[in-house]
Amino acid sequence: MPPGSCNEPHLKMLDFLDGEMYFEISQQPEWTRMMKKRNVTDNPVISVRNLHKSYGSLKALDGLSFSVQPSSCFGFLGPNGAGKSTLMRILYGTAEREHGKDTAVNVFGFDPGSQSLDIKFLSGVVPQENNLDDELNVTQNLRVYSKLYGMKKNEAIERIGSLLEFFELSEKRKSKIKELSGGMKRRLVIARALLHEPRLLILDEPTTGLDPQVRHLIWDKIRHLQQEGLTVLLTTHYMEEAERLCDSLLIMDKGRKILEGKPRQLLKEHIENYVLEIYEEQVAAVLGSRKIPAGVRKDGPPDRPVFYSNRLAALKRMSKSMEGGGYHIRQSNLEDLFLKATGRELNAEQ
Amino acid sequence: MPSNRLPSLASRITSVWYRHMLVYTRNLISNGLPPFMEPLIFLAGVGLGLGKYIATMDGLPYIQFLASGLLVTSAMYTSAFELSYGTFIRLEFDKVYDGMLAAPISVNNLLVGEILWAGTKGWFFSFAVLIIVSVFGVIPLSFSLLAPLVGFLTGILFGAISLLVTSFVKNINHFNFYFTGLLSPMFFFSGVVFPVKSLPELIQPVAWIMPLTHCVDLVRAFCTGQFHPVLWLNLIYILAVSLLTGHFAIRRLKKRLIQ
Repeated sequence: MPPGSCNEPHLKMLDFLDGEMYFEISQQPEWTRMMKKRNVTDNPVISVRNLHKSYGSLKALDGLSFSVQPSSCFGFLGPNGAGKSTLMRILYGTAEREHGKDTAVNVFGFDPGSQSLDIKFLSGVVPQENNLDDELNVTQNLRVYSKLYGMKKNEAIERIGSLLEFFELSEKRKSKIKELSGGMKRRLVIARALLHEPRLLILDEPTTGLDPQVRHLIWDKIRHLQQEGLTVLLTTHYMEEAERLCDSLLIMDKGRKILEGKPRQLLKEHIENYVLEIYEEQVAAVLGSRKIPAGVRKDGPPDRPVFYSNRLAALKRMSKSMEGGGYHIRQSNLEDLFLKATGRELNAEQ
Repeated sequence: MPSNRLPSLASRITSVWYRHMLVYTRNLISNGLPPFMEPLIFLAGVGLGLGKYIATMDGLPYIQFLASGLLVTSAMYTSAFELSYGTFIRLEFDKVYDGMLAAPISVNNLLVGEILWAGTKGWFFSFAVLIIVSVFGVIPLSFSLLAPLVGFLTGILFGAISLLVTSFVKNINHFNFYFTGLLSPMFFFSGVVFPVKSLPELIQPVAWIMPLTHCVDLVRAFCTGQFHPVLWLNLIYILAVSLLTGHFAIRRLKKRLIQ
């Protein structure tokens, strides 16, 4: 499905906004190069229409539609149980979708329901769980996958060497999997997914549970690969990760799309610019007894309320009446947007 | 640049086999030695003790009768372990299959590769038994050199059966029922220890249903060089049970691997 024929109004809006984004980032040479590349081939790498999937009475995916442009990073944000992993699995054919009457899923022109081998050959998958082979060492793990991808021995050995170097794992090439730290395992899984130089990289929560150093290293590597033309699909609940890596974001909850767009644009359109957070209960109690000024929105639990507004002055005025702090004013971020879009209450899956 | 063509069917299946070969040869001594030790222990036990009480069985020296059976029981046990406990661990605990299925390989390719590996182990284990017992002159090396091929078939057969059992098992301890309830009776009533025809007539058909009986008949023919046309039926039965159980095993496991 080409993007122009999409019947979802916000996508047209995004097309319009494209020019603006282009202007904004044209100062950065590698991004411009990327944008140019994108103009050459503007058929989407992935297009999904009206996707449904249930497990018993649980609706994992409920009429999801989106498309992903080549060489872009497309992110899925959503709470646990939102259907992100199920979606990834359906795209490379290890989960089956339901057959709706106007459901269509297309990855590189292939249907994952019947042509998953072709899709998997062009894609690298980093699953949520590190499913490394504990019975083999680091290099052997990669050797098995080089066989699965049909690579010749010499070519495989060379590629494995350069990937281990790229992910700073060269010293561990003969180590047992059990001797690796969480961050090393994660890097190895990503290296494994890149063995055959895929055109699409599917990352299911790539940095969950990792320390900041490793997380930044992985982000660097992903950005590097993306600049070389790789298309990246990413699920995450780290807002920072989404903000840093993704060109487009889709916020989903309970298998449905809630918002979709470029990160900055989503912030601009769907959340107030400034946030006043209250830390102390007494301050909250004082504020609670007062009337909320016009143009300010209140959210969060009563003892730790959060106030949103586009007018910084309004929030400052509110904070002036508070003695000795217990509050903080800042710019809004994706996390605010995420909480607004998906609600603050936990669902059964979380 | 890696090749831009999808690996062939043969290449996909042998990658699975390659994985197992890497794992198996990684601990060459602890994996490779026991298959040779077991027949030694057996020879000592029978030669020093049991053989003194039973000299012949069904017209063969008893030690030869038992040794030929051992060629296929060792193949049966190794392939059964590999595709029951082994498969369950790869499926549920280590998530090895989950990883491999993200590469360009189908559930069919993966599980056919597993069964082929079970066959390979069956071949290797009966080969090890043959080497040891022939060194001690129990089975002469002639047609018997082909006997490990029956070990291969036995490995395929019990690989497929075990895979089907695994497709029903949700808790790894349930394999105890399979080993005690199915494989142990087979060891004793399939003509390994004594000929099937000496069983009560009423029970004999049960013995003929047991797949191992047919492996024993085949392997004993190769070990003694005495062939007869009924062996074709044994072969057909082994192939039919392998195909049937393999087919249903793959169909059932597909539901567990593809959500």
